[in-house]
Amino acid sequence: MAELDVHLPRIADGDAAAFGAWLGAAEPALRESLRRFAAQADVEAVLQEALLRVWQVAPRVEPDGRPNALLRLAVRVARNLALDEARRAGFRAPADEVELTALLDRLAGAAAPEPPDPLLRRLIAACRAKLAAKPRAALDARLQSGGSEPDAALAAALGMRLNTFLQNVGRARKALAECLRRGGAALPEQVP
Amino acid sequence: MTDRRGREALIEAAAGAFRPRRPGGGVGPSPAWHDLDPDGREEAFAAAALSRRLEAALDPEGLSSTARAVLARIRR
Repeated sequence: MAELDVHLPRIADGDAAAFGAWLGAAEPALRESLRRFAAQADVEAVLQEALLRVWQVAPRVEPDGRPNALLRLAVRVARNLALDEARRAGFRAPADEVELTALLDRLAGAAAPEPPDPLLRRLIAACRAKLAAKPRAALDARLQSGGSEPDAALAAALGMRLNTFLQNVGRARKALAECLRRGGAALPEQVP
Repeated sequence: MTDRRGREALIEAAAGAFRPRRPGGGVGPSPAWHDLDPDGREEAFAAAALSRRLEAALDPEGLSSTARAVLARIRR
């Protein structure tokens, strides 16, 4: 199986679509690498900042002969940003180099992370169609905004109060996750 | 609004992908994340991880709202 560095030459040439293809596969592993910082730093902000920096430095990345060089660089960048944020917030946040090295070795020996499979895609589309109107509208608003608009603006566009909008987002996620479980899909997280 | 509902709203807000720009550039943290206790922050992390997986599975190009937000910034 191809590894994620197949995208690296085009990313280095400034091809944003290639970076998107890499991102789609790399994001779950990168986010998971930051789990230990969840209570100390806003992982979503750290992750986005790390990805922007990876895009900027990608033209200078030299593959080292092992798989997933760009993903391993992203893990290091994100880890360093998370440590900075945690320390700025007053946490001791010791750097765990042993754990980081083990993670990087695993990524260097791994095949590319799997994108969502077609069966999951069909199942989740069917589950989405079964959502009640308001949770579905809230979910769709977040999907269509692509993280580019604040929830207050999305809520206002739907004629919802912000807290109602947020409740509907949570209901949509829980209903989708429950529907997927009933359909036999494995999910990465427990529903909070 | 009850405290429980307020806490759930903060978790949902922190679990979203929208993040403000910092005044000097860069991606700023969610104000909601700052208002959560440590357990709430862990819950927001879990909700975000699940949400991004679901979003990617619903997206024709397999991209989550995090990925879309990053791509929007680099294309500006």
